[in-house]
Formats: sequence, C-alpha cells, structure tokens
Amino acid sequence: MVLNPLEQLVLTLRELYEGYGYTRFPMRRFEEYQLYLENKSFLTSERVLSFTDVSGKLMALKPDVTLSIVKHAKPERQGVEKLYYHESVYRVSPTDHQFTEISQIGVESLGEIDSYGACEVVRLAIESLERIGLPYVLDMSHMGLAGGLMEDAGMTVPQREEAFALIRQKNSHELKSALTKWQIAPLYGERIAQLPDLCGEVETTLVRAAELAVGPEMKKAVSELSRVYGSLCTLGLEKHIRLDFSIANDLDYYNGLVFKGYVEGAPRAVLSGGQYDRLMRKLGKAGDGLGFALYLDELTRVIIKPGAYDADVLALYGAQDDPAKVLKGVEDLRRSGLRVLASPSQSPNARVKQTLRFSDDGFQEVSKNA
Amino acid sequence: MLNIALPKGRLGDKVYRLFKDIGYDCSAMESDDRRLVLCDPGGEVSYLLVKPSDVAIYVEHGAADIGVVGKDVLLEGGNDVYELLDLNLGKCRMAEAAPVGFREDAQRPLRVATKYPNIAKRFYGELSREIEIIKLNGSIELAPLLKLSDVIVDIVETGTTLKQNHLEVTREILPISARLIANKAAMKFKDAQIRDIVEKLKSKVEG
Repeated sequence: MVLNPLEQLVLTLRELYEGYGYTRFPMRRFEEYQLYLENKSFLTSERVLSFTDVSGKLMALKPDVTLSIVKHAKPERQGVEKLYYHESVYRVSPTDHQFTEISQIGVESLGEIDSYGACEVVRLAIESLERIGLPYVLDMSHMGLAGGLMEDAGMTVPQREEAFALIRQKNSHELKSALTKWQIAPLYGERIAQLPDLCGEVETTLVRAAELAVGPEMKKAVSELSRVYGSLCTLGLEKHIRLDFSIANDLDYYNGLVFKGYVEGAPRAVLSGGQYDRLMRKLGKAGDGLGFALYLDELTRVIIKPGAYDADVLALYGAQDDPAKVLKGVEDLRRSGLRVLASPSQSPNARVKQTLRFSDDGFQEVSKNA
Repeated sequence: MLNIALPKGRLGDKVYRLFKDIGYDCSAMESDDRRLVLCDPGGEVSYLLVKPSDVAIYVEHGAADIGVVGKDVLLEGGNDVYELLDLNLGKCRMAEAAPVGFREDAQRPLRVATKYPNIAKRFYGELSREIEIIKLNGSIELAPLLKLSDVIVDIVETGTTLKQNHLEVTREILPISARLIANKAAMKFKDAQIRDIVEKLKSKVEG
C-alpha cells in the first residue's frame, strides 16, 4: 500500500463527511491579518505569521480555519451549510516556540443548528475517532452550565477568565480559594467549585450536573447534553462518551456543546470542537455554528509505524553491465511483485530483505536479511 | 502500569514516602539504585526520577502519566497539564528581595535578576511596572550585590541566604508548594488508578 495510515485515514474521513452531505470548503493559504487581530482570543496563540501583499495590505498565513469559514458563511440563518476542510494552519508550537505547519481535517455546520444538527456533528466526531483504529474517548461538556453560574454570580470578565483557566487545569484547590477571595455568593461559589471534578460516566454525571443547574440557561445546557447523549445511545455509541465539565472554551465565542477527543497513545487531545454561535454574531452572521477539527499531526506518531524495510530487494549492478539488460532484469523483479531498489553499489542506509547481484543470467541472490 | 515522575532530591524523597504510605511502594526506590526508571516486578507503578524543572515536561508529553512538581516550575513553564492536588509539601514562597535599605527609583525600569522570567514578567505586568529582566541560572543573590540588578525574584524558604547576603524581602509574590499533576490524555485512559491515588493522597494531606 503506497498510502500511509494517515493518508488512508484522511481519505476515509473525506468519504465519511461527503456521505453526510458536507462539501469541501475551497480555501487559500492566507487571509487578511485584520480578521485575526479582531478575534485574537479565538485563536490558541496570538502570534500569527504575517506578511505584506503587493498592495501593502497586511496578510497572514492562516492560523485557523474556522474563522475563514465563518467569514465566508452567508449572513442569514435559514437552511444549513455543511462544509469540511483538510488544510494546513500555521501556529506557534507551544513546546519550541517556533512557527509550525499543522495539518487539520474538520467539519463545520452553519445556519439552523437544531438538536438533530448537534447530534450529527457529535456523531461524526465519534466516527472520526473510531476510524483512527485505537481505543478512544469523547469528552463532552456544555458552556451553558459554567457560563450561567458565573454570569448569575456576577463575576467580572477577568475573574471568569481566571476561573476557567483553573477549571481547565482541574485545579479545585486554587479555584476554591479564588472564589472565596472574590466573595462569590455560596449558592454559586459552591457549585462553580465542583466543576473541575464534574466528570465521568455520562448518566451519573448528568444527575450531578442537574443538581448544580439553578437557572434556565444551566437547565437548558444539561437537557441539551442529555438529549444528544440519548440520541447517540440509540446508535450504540455510549461506551465511548464521557462528560467532563473541565472542558471550557472561550465564552466570548462558544456558547453550547464543547467536546474533545482522545486516543490511547497520544498525550494531548486529538480532536476538539464546539458550538460557536457567538463567533457567528461577532462576524455578522445570523446563523449558529458547530464544528470540530481533528489534529492530524498529533496522530502521526501514534498511527504511523516505520516499516521494517525500504524495499524487498537491493538489486546491485556494475558499471560494465549493459543497462538494457539491467533494466530488463529489474522489470522482471518488479513484475513478480517485489519492491526493487536498483543501485550500482551497496547503500549503507537502505534496509532491504534481500540483496541480489546482476549477472548475465539475471539477478542472483547474494544475501538475505532475517 | 502507571508512570510517576518525581523530582530528584529531597522533595522527591518526601513525596515517595507519601506514595509509599498510600500503598504504592517500590523496593527499588529504597535501595541505593542508580537507575532512573524504577519499578518492582509485577508492580502497579514505575517511578521516573528527573530534574525538578523537567517533571512537568515529562507529564505534558505523556512520558509520565502523573508527577509531582513545585508550583514555581508549573507557573514558569505554563505546561498544559491537570493540577489535581496541593500536596502542602516543600512549602516556600516566591518573593522580590533587595539589598537592605534599597529605595526604588520609579523614574527608570527596575532591573530584576531571576531564574523565573515568566513569573517576574507577569507579576510586574500586573503592577504596570516597567522592568528589565536579567535571566540567571543560579546564585541569584549575587546579582544585586554586584549591581548587576536592583532586585531579585526568587524562591525564599527560611530567608537565611538572603540575610547572609544583606538582602531582605521587599514584596511577596505568591506561596509555593508541591502539586500533583497529570497528563490530560492519561486521565482519560487510566482514570480509575489516578483517581485512587488522588483520593488517598488527599485524605493523607488533609488528614
């Protein structure tokens, strides 16, 4: 097989998304810098690779695909646009602080997103993880619960940001002392303090989440989660789903479902998604938006195992040999289905099963690797 | 098998005793073994002994599932890990210190010598104080004595080193202690075992 497992995965995912009516979003590699400047906090890193185009306008190599898709979405809410992409984005790596090219594949559903629409996107996220072929988990959460609690508690924007940062770290000890320091009313404070540990098996976690929901927005969040989960159960997908309320995206952009996918062997989330109606409003769109991205780079080390051999045979020939006869000999080996590396001398780096040498009767075996 | 990264040295020894008390002992840890990965045959866990400032890196990249690290290292590194528990061990504080009797000149940037440039930047950023950072890797106390810097930002345990070098704490930055951290993906696939450790350590630390 010429395609490596990652390339095969991309093909089967494209087939999956097209099967659900998602069309490929055509895209350039760059976008006006202004778009990212105005939505800095939507990006995972504020640093963007920028350059000036011929007219002097500041441009940027795309650090993100969702913003571009939302920008090009139609302004009205009616109907639904289903799009998918397989693109490179350019971000600063959190580990070596250099710009790196990251390959992503993902889907975005824009317009009227109802319960079915949400179930479909989550279902596609699960199926995308399934096709990686390793044990996996999809963690779901809903921004409405934490967002509603913090809003009703009257927390300021910097307080919310700090609280979310601690929730994402599952850092209950510091969250508790921060809530006390900010003098948050116990009705809300005690509930917010439970969010980092509010995770696990869906049904019991939903019961606990329902106990924390005091306002209409929070109750709606819990019932939405429960509805999506119920629908996925009918497809027998429940064993891969868990709830984890420590998943929290930026409240300025995300409002509904949020989720992350993990596969065994990869140290970070390989899939991330959510509902971003607020981003749609910011960019002047009346519709809702929901989508996810699969980080193909995170998967490289997990699913591509180096092959034991570069070729089946190393076919050695000499300078005095007739090239026409060598060519014929190589053709014969190829026709018998072998991968042939022809070379005038031993290649020290080539890993081959067998070494053959050219003679007038064709290639003869010299040595064999166990 | 759960991989646990511990900081080499005194804090690591203390933390290992804590893990031993909750039933995760490892005889290789108690012998004079020079290997860096230690586990017992048939044991549930293996311990990795690494440089304290590297613990969070091992955990973030999944080479270790959980680890114990000082809050100073976590804040400085900004690693993307779960911080599950404050172990209340290795307690000290991050503080600004200056030569005794130092008066700050508000007209010019403050020169700060430190091993922790990110923590220092954040702290003075919140005070809107312009600074010049001089990154050092050790013997920070020397910097103000030789007029390399005005002040230092460093860990203060007892304050003896400061006193001996005629320095005093001028501003408290934050309290520091050892934290139990976990890799985000490990939490999904080894949840039960990590939860067990957290619960047992919690009752030990709080009780």
